[in-house]
Amino acid sequence: MSNNAELIRLEGVKKSYNSVEVLHGVDLSVNTGEVIALLGENGAGKSTLVKILAGDIYPTEGVIKVNGSELAGLDVYQARQLGIRMIFQELNDAPTLSVAENIFLGQWPTSGGRIAWRELKAKAQEVLDRLEVEIPLDAIAGSLRVGERQLLEIARALIQNAKVLVLDEPTAALSNVEVERLFKVMDQLRGQGVGMVYITHRLDEVTRVADRVQVLRDGNSVLLDDAKNVSRESLVAAMLGHEASGNSRPTVTKGTVRALEVKNLSDGEVFKDISFDVNQGEVLCLFGKIGSGTSEILESIFGLRALVGGEIRIDGKNFTPKSPQDSVTRNIGYLPADRQRLGSFAIRSVAENLSVSSWPRMAKFGFVKKADEDEAFGTWQEALHISARRGPGQEIATLSGGNQQKVLLGRWFEARVNILLLVEPTRGVDVGARRDIYDIIRKQAHESNMAVLVATSDYEEVVLLADRALVVSRGAIAAEFTDDLVQADKLIAASS
Amino acid sequence: MLKPKTGSSVQGVQGDDEGAKRRRKIPDTAPLVGVLILMMVIFSITSEYFFQVDNFKNVLANAAVTGIVCIPSTFLIISGQIDLSVGSAAAVSGMLLAQVVNHHGVGPGLLAVLLFGLVLGCFNGFIVTVIGVNALITTLGGLGFLYGVALLIGNGQTLGMKNFEWLGTAQPIDIPLPILIFAFLAVVGAVTLRYTKFGRSIYAIGSNPNAARVVGIRSNRVMFVTFILSSVAAALAGAVLASQLSSGDPNSGLGLELQVVTAIVLGGASLAGGRGSILGTVLGLLIVGVLNNGLILMDVPTFWQRIAQGLMLIVAVSFDSIRAKLNKTRS
Repeated sequence: MSNNAELIRLEGVKKSYNSVEVLHGVDLSVNTGEVIALLGENGAGKSTLVKILAGDIYPTEGVIKVNGSELAGLDVYQARQLGIRMIFQELNDAPTLSVAENIFLGQWPTSGGRIAWRELKAKAQEVLDRLEVEIPLDAIAGSLRVGERQLLEIARALIQNAKVLVLDEPTAALSNVEVERLFKVMDQLRGQGVGMVYITHRLDEVTRVADRVQVLRDGNSVLLDDAKNVSRESLVAAMLGHEASGNSRPTVTKGTVRALEVKNLSDGEVFKDISFDVNQGEVLCLFGKIGSGTSEILESIFGLRALVGGEIRIDGKNFTPKSPQDSVTRNIGYLPADRQRLGSFAIRSVAENLSVSSWPRMAKFGFVKKADEDEAFGTWQEALHISARRGPGQEIATLSGGNQQKVLLGRWFEARVNILLLVEPTRGVDVGARRDIYDIIRKQAHESNMAVLVATSDYEEVVLLADRALVVSRGAIAAEFTDDLVQADKLIAASS
Repeated sequence: MLKPKTGSSVQGVQGDDEGAKRRRKIPDTAPLVGVLILMMVIFSITSEYFFQVDNFKNVLANAAVTGIVCIPSTFLIISGQIDLSVGSAAAVSGMLLAQVVNHHGVGPGLLAVLLFGLVLGCFNGFIVTVIGVNALITTLGGLGFLYGVALLIGNGQTLGMKNFEWLGTAQPIDIPLPILIFAFLAVVGAVTLRYTKFGRSIYAIGSNPNAARVVGIRSNRVMFVTFILSSVAAALAGAVLASQLSSGDPNSGLGLELQVVTAIVLGGASLAGGRGSILGTVLGLLIVGVLNNGLILMDVPTFWQRIAQGLMLIVAVSFDSIRAKLNKTRS
């Protein structure tokens, strides 16, 4: 397929934020009728690279060439002119409008000021035919499956004359059937000469859909080859580099008393037949790519997500999650991945954010003493190394991400929970604070016999944090690793 | 980009912890006090009757009825909810009181009013927290249908009421009883909001309703209770008003909800929830009260007061929005 014409080419692209270089001179070329898979761990520079391609951000250095001639610069408007379109993992549609309207979203054809419905529908149908998918034009977008709505986004890109499609982890939230359907559509587009950049975490998809593979690591391009020449092992090695495999494991504690038992848990949607148990004082990590179902399992145990089957036992007794409030009264704590939405009370003080779950214990005749709150904050500020310059009264939103996360962790330590559920506990936390947080979680678990269950998509986190690890793939447990077998390459291989 | 950064860091170095605290404490209620003083100075100049003890009593007595409703309404607005049914609820309460007092006596009359407040509060609380209807719509509907109920009780007429003036007019320690009731509620309200689990939960719910659930706060229960408090307060205010007028008047509560929301928002509460205080509300209430009083003393026709009040609400909410925008750009 090397005889394909080049659509666009980035050469030696560098990008710095606040004098920190995150891309160190990367090339990327997209050819007609070709899928290039872009791989790399979180923070490797994939998003930065495709944002440059889409004109969202400007490179600090580097050359952009279209049809061999160099561009002075590339902004969003020019990128659209060139037919470069992004398809994101999150949907950007109007869920209450029809399929046909969504395909033309915002650019509905009109005649005499009124929407030309006949033309709109005819053209929408034409595009869906071109993709060889059958979706009723009058269906409301919100009633469709996620995968179908994603296809609508692709259809919209085609209506807008897309020549280069950038697909950013489109399969993360899709079922197997939907993934295969998307790949068929991509095959179709390939035949029609569309060039595609396909970002993914899933190695098995590379050989299925890609013609070429490019791997980024720490802002460098470390591998570029035909997809048929690479093996799974070589990709893992390229993504990890050499130093990552040598991460030191903590001393494992196993515990003997079962705190939480989960049997055949299903939510009827994302995960199925999940069984495991966690001992007192043990840290169990559920590792899986985003969308694999790890966070949903924790949501269900905490009572944020409905279950359709299975059993949960706490200290040997049956437990049916009713509501988050009920779970908290049963000494279960939950740290959400989305700190802003579910975790912090942004405009309230750090002391209050830390004590809020302990109010029932602190209150005397309904009154909560501020001094008690301040004292609790003082205790955990020292133990967790929280830096809050203005003391217990400082608004939590003014703290750095890492410090906010420590406050929210301290919240559940202060509440003296027996079971702590953590979802992506170090997302958005700088590297320095991460080690701190791991140490604290482990120490706290072992000292107060707390059972800790972690859902994470960060393999390094598993290696550093877990006593034991389960790998979750597409809603099912794929592997279990104990002791020194909890290693990055093993985790990644089992989850892909 | 570089300039504000160095600027703020220099400030950070100079202002130590205490300085930071002081900086943050000033803006909350100080501008309100400033506005209040300014208004009082202006009205003292324009009218010789303004700066007199009797007139201040007058201002407070007029503000007290609104103020009684303002206390639980402040709770609601801080928690991100609102109760617009209070005006009509007060009217129904007054009508009910007149009707029952005339036929069965004062005791049953007050009981009927209390019961009405409880039932209405449960109704609002149920529709908002259990059914899940937006509070604005629920209580707007209540505002409409309760006005109809008030008219229905008196068949569209005012109902005279005998032998029950003390609630509205008694002056136990040379201060009108409604002012004392209001002052009592304000103190209890302020203490509750600041120092109790219930009050702090209200701030937490308003600040982030989703997180409140996750940390174990029984949000629905707290909201339910607050709606009951709001309706009971509205019923009490209606009873005080009827007692002052010696009659139940279906139109007596018209516009009460507007005055309440104006006072609370002027007092610094955010309609987005999470911010506000009883002290602020009291200051907001005084500003509205002094403005009304001053305009009356200046012989400004009453319809101008309406115009001034409506505009004041818009100004207050605009300040709220501007403040929110400033906060966003700062962070």
